[in-house]
Order: sequence, then structure tokens, then C-alpha cells
Amino acid sequence: MATPAIEFRDVSKMFHRWFSEERIAALSNVSFEAAAGEVCAFLGPNGAGKTTSINILMGFLFADSGQVRVLGCEPGDIRAKQQIGFVPENFAFYKYLTGPKLLRMHMALAGQRENGGSRVSDLLAQVRLNGYETLKIGRYSRGMVQRLGIAQALLADPRLLVLDEPTSGLDPAGRKDVLQLLTDLKAQGKTVFLSSHILPEVEQICDRVVIVDRGRLVCAGRLAEMLAGGDRVEIVVDRLPEETEQAVAARGAVVARDPHGVRLLVEAALKRELVEALWIAGCDVIAMNPVKSTLQDLFLKLVGDYEGAK
Amino acid sequence: MKVRAIALNTFAGLVRDKLLIVICAGFLCVLLLMVTSLTMMKTMSQSNPDVFQSTELPLIGAIMAMVSGLGSLLAAWAAADSVWGEMKSGTILAVMARPVRRWEFLLGKYLGVQMLMAVYVLFLFGMSYLLAWIGGGRIQSTPWVLIVYPLVRYAIYSAMSMLLVTALHPVVSLGIVMVVSVLASMFGPANSRSFLPGGLRAAVYAVLPSTELLSETRFLTITEARLKQIPWTNHAVALAYGLDYALVLFLLTVWSFRHRALARN
Repeated sequence: MATPAIEFRDVSKMFHRWFSEERIAALSNVSFEAAAGEVCAFLGPNGAGKTTSINILMGFLFADSGQVRVLGCEPGDIRAKQQIGFVPENFAFYKYLTGPKLLRMHMALAGQRENGGSRVSDLLAQVRLNGYETLKIGRYSRGMVQRLGIAQALLADPRLLVLDEPTSGLDPAGRKDVLQLLTDLKAQGKTVFLSSHILPEVEQICDRVVIVDRGRLVCAGRLAEMLAGGDRVEIVVDRLPEETEQAVAARGAVVARDPHGVRLLVEAALKRELVEALWIAGCDVIAMNPVKSTLQDLFLKLVGDYEGAK
Repeated sequence: MKVRAIALNTFAGLVRDKLLIVICAGFLCVLLLMVTSLTMMKTMSQSNPDVFQSTELPLIGAIMAMVSGLGSLLAAWAAADSVWGEMKSGTILAVMARPVRRWEFLLGKYLGVQMLMAVYVLFLFGMSYLLAWIGGGRIQSTPWVLIVYPLVRYAIYSAMSMLLVTALHPVVSLGIVMVVSVLASMFGPANSRSFLPGGLRAAVYAVLPSTELLSETRFLTITEARLKQIPWTNHAVALAYGLDYALVLFLLTVWSFRHRALARN
């Protein structure tokens, strides 16, 4: 079996306040894996422990217990870092440098020699920052800084990309560019581990999903398997008598009324049974539309259920 | 290559540090005022140069000693701020995501601070010569003493400050370095006045950096404008002591930084 690109085993991390007994569990026994060549989305509401996990993964923080492996190495291991491109959340750069100077500095840090500046120019063009070569980073917009962050992450042709909110601060065109870039990287066989709140976009590219909430793992698995069986059908009828409404609600249908009729949202497996019941009750079925289950539905369902359970 | 890139970037960042710019601008103004007033006084007292020598030159010597002492604080602040600033702003994350070891990062930062201090020392060196020339004296020493001794002294204070900032806030670190520098001058071998008993005083002297040993004023004062002749072995011992002290502090910094959280919790 191939070594996973990222492996978390029962990882826990507690934060302490100085001069206080207060302890905050940032992570509690979190376990998941991301296989090589996959795009893995790391999701969760704010404060769920995503950035803490990424910081542990990169060797910036240390777990209190559990085991973390990145590309088969300990976090922070120089051999692993040679193959990782990283974009932190709220990327901060040296404001007095220009984009090309920063990239050259990162090339030096990566132990690479510059070949006439072509690599730097290519990367700047790739993230649409060509034409701003003489502008200091302190004068960049947030979106430009984010693009530069992505450029520096790609600098050393990494095997694994760790991206913490890579599309935050970007306009729709910028987000589209980043998604295209991630799609290209996926096609090249790179492993991408990204956290994001923009679920419809993530859904387009990810193979695996890991959802955390309040430091606990809610679910982890392949997206296709997690969304399977969650498809629903929207049935539109002209009217819905009260006794029929109670009967369909008992079968798990969600009823919504609007000026054009009554909309019933039911699981796909129940559609035939429900349509028959509606016909028997004398309702006219105006339309029937399949509704695909989305990552957003799954996220809201799981995080909502999880919060409810607590 | 990595250490060099970090050192050059640290130096570039420090020369743009607003606080350091304000301090240096203030310092420059004081020096310019001093040079101007000195030149005027010299012109006025041309008939009696002895009076000038006995009244003004000690004052200049004291001010230059103060400026040299200010360099210790500058070194301490620059070292603390260069590490703390990166952690506070989050720029350290992008650097440490690269194949850079923690000691390489610290060494780059440390060398960047030493580059800044080298510029400061060269400036001091130039000022010493200028003031000696205005004062009518001539520095007869080998110039390296004026350059190397303060550099080693600043290397100690910057390493000490860097060690402290791995665990404490930079302002607290600077405060501790200031206290240490005052104590070091109080318990030096040349200072016989002390409220502590002899044994304890010797112990404190052994632990604190003996920067008095590394003071170039041991050999040179502006008033005399002459280097006292001492054997080269004395120079070697004093400088080896200073470099060793700085090295030990730097190694302690590397050890302390090994498991430091780089991201804010």
C-alpha cells in the first residue's frame, strides 16, 4: 500500500492561557489521511481547528499527542519541506520587497538557482502579476498578495501543496483562475490539501473531504462515496390537501408553498411512492426535477447534526 | 545560500524599521550639533588651545562612550525585533515552510543584525576620527580596535536579546538586557565599589558578560587620542572571550527556539 501524503493519527492539541487555568482543546483525537495525487478538502466552520491542523502539519506547532506524517516524514522535516508548497491563511510578506525580489528570495531559500529570471517571470505571468514587477508588495491589494502567495508556493515544483484559504480575498475571476490552476495541478498528479469556505468551488475539484468541527473529526472520506445516496427529487404539484401534506411529511418530504404551486423535496428512492400517493389524492404533478446532493448540503447536515448532538 | 538570503533580507528590513530610523535620525542630529558647536568653540578659543583640550574633549569622549553604549541597546533591540517581528506579522511562516532549518533561520537573522551593527560601528569609527581631528588630536592606534571591539560587544548583546525573545516579549527582553549591561558595568574588575561581598561579586562577574573587557575605551580615549600599547595576546584573549560568550548565547537561542510555536495560538 502506498504511503499517504498526509497522515493524522489521534492528534490532539490543547492551548493554555498564561496565568489562567483555562484550556482550549484545539484538536481532539483527529485522524485522517490524504492519498498521494488526491485533492483533499479540509473543511470546517471558523474555529474548527483547520489552521491549527495545518500549522502542525507544517511543523509550526507541535501536537500534544498523536502522530503526524507528511510525505512519509515528520512535520518540519527538511526532506518533506523540499517537496511542499505552502500558502498560509492571511499571507504576510515583506512589504518593502517587490514580487520578483520576493520570489528570488524564496528561490534562494529553496536552494534553487535562478536561470536568468525566466522561472520568476513565468510564475508571475501564471498568477497574472506580470506588469507589476516594480510595485512594492506593501502597495499590493489583498488579492494580489494572495496570488503572489500561490506563485511562491509553486516555485519549487512541489509534490504536495498545502493551501489555507487560497481563494480568500480574490475576486470571482481570481477564484476561477485558482480553481483552474488547482485542476491543472491535479491533472499533473500533485497532491493538494486545501481548506476553504467556498464549498461549491471546492466540490468541483476535490476527491476527498475531511470535515472538522470544534477540534473533532466529523467525517472523512471520498467525496463521491459521501454524496452517494443523498440525491433528492423536487416534485411540484398544483395543490396539496392538508391530510396529504401530513402523509407526505411523514415520509420525510420537505414541503414549501409558493405562488406557482407546492414544492415537495423528497429522497430519490421515495419518488414513485410519493407520486402515486399524490395522484390518488387528486393532485396534478406539474414538474419533477432531480436535485443532486452537494458538498454544501453534506457539510451543513453533518456540522448541523454534530452541533445538535452536542 | 539560505542563510545569506535571510541575513540580507533581515538587514534590508532593519534599515527600513521606522523606530530604528527615528533613533538613528535623532542620534545623527545630536552628533551634527556636537560637531558644529565643537568647531565654533575651537574657532573661538584659538588663542588658548589648552582650555579647549581640557574642557571640551572630555565631554566629547563621554558623548562618544554614550553613543557606543547606545549601540548595545540598538543591537539588542534589532535582534529582538528581527525575530519577534517575523512571528508577529506571520512572515516567518512562508520562510519556515521552505527547506530552512530553525538554526539557519536564527543564524540568518543574527548575521543580518551584525551587518546593521557593522554599519553603525563604521559610522562610529568615522565620527571618532572626525572628532579627534576637530579636537586637534590624532588617533594613533591601529583602526581595527575601534571596529572589532564594539562589534564583538554588540554580538554579545544581540545574542542575549535573541535568546530572551524566544521566550519573552521584545520589550521585556530589552529591559533585561539593559539591566544586565548596567550590572556588568557595576561588577567589572575596574569597579571596586560594590555593595556585594567579594565572593558573590566574583560569581556575578563570572556569569555576566564582561563587556568592560571588550570596551575599546580601555585602550583609547578621545582626550588622549592615543592607543595604549598592549600585547596582541591581550587582544586575542579579550576577543576570544567575547566571541565565545556570544556563541554560547546563540547556541542557547537555537536550543530554546527548537520547540517554539511559530504560529500564534
